[in-house]
Amino acid sequence: MKYILLMSGSKAGVDGYRTWSKKDIDAHMAVLTSLNRELAESGEFVATQGLAAPHEAKVVRGLKEGMPITDGIFPESKEFLLGYWIVDVATPERAYEIAGRISAAPGPGGVPTNMPIEVREFAIRAPQS
Amino acid sequence: MKYILMMHGQKGAWDEYAKWSKEDLQRNVEFMRGFNKELHDSGVFVDTKGLAWPQEATMVRAGNNGEPVTDGVFPESKEFLAGYWVIDVESAEQAYKIAARASAAPGPGGKPANMPIEVRQVLGSHNDLGF
Repeated sequence: MKYILLMSGSKAGVDGYRTWSKKDIDAHMAVLTSLNRELAESGEFVATQGLAAPHEAKVVRGLKEGMPITDGIFPESKEFLLGYWIVDVATPERAYEIAGRISAAPGPGGVPTNMPIEVREFAIRAPQS
Repeated sequence: MKYILMMHGQKGAWDEYAKWSKEDLQRNVEFMRGFNKELHDSGVFVDTKGLAWPQEATMVRAGNNGEPVTDGVFPESKEFLAGYWVIDVESAEQAYKIAARASAAPGPGGKPANMPIEVRQVLGSHNDLGF
């Protein structure tokens, strides 16, 4: 069963991350890198991606005179996707366990960030008619 | 440059989608198939995924003892990710054009759904954040 683990945050959350010391960022990334390696070794790793900072986000709608309509204005409360992992696991509980590990990754001063991680399964494709 | 194109919606949008006629759904699915094929053929396609319904979303936090603490309660206003495309293109403008095509996918009665599509670059590594 494939699950996606979504890490999201508001612009303010990302600004907070920008104030972390290099040591704190390195410790955080070391834990996530080692988790990625562990998932690769257990055969559960499918993919992981980090996204560009929220201030680079654009929203696009339809076309006007052949050109896309873009704007970069979002409500203050908007939760931006910061990154995701895709895992292929035997049970939802295993997906929650991995998400818990990500949530426990260290933040400033080595204290777990305790970030909420949203876990969703992929849509089951309708049979081709 | 890799970009992710994201479709989001509140739970209410899913409830509306569930009411679409079979004909409307089929028209939308056919559009998406053709769109994906076109991305493949033009060499920009990396990945696309649709996610399970928001009712199945679970929020997980680390507990004190390292056990995952799960919760399925979300604010009404929460925007759920419905699905995404990852594309590999030459410029941001090309990504916006492709996003506009996805936004123009047909909705009820064949009218463009005009869904907002969020576009962000995908990073090679966290160093690209420039912190």
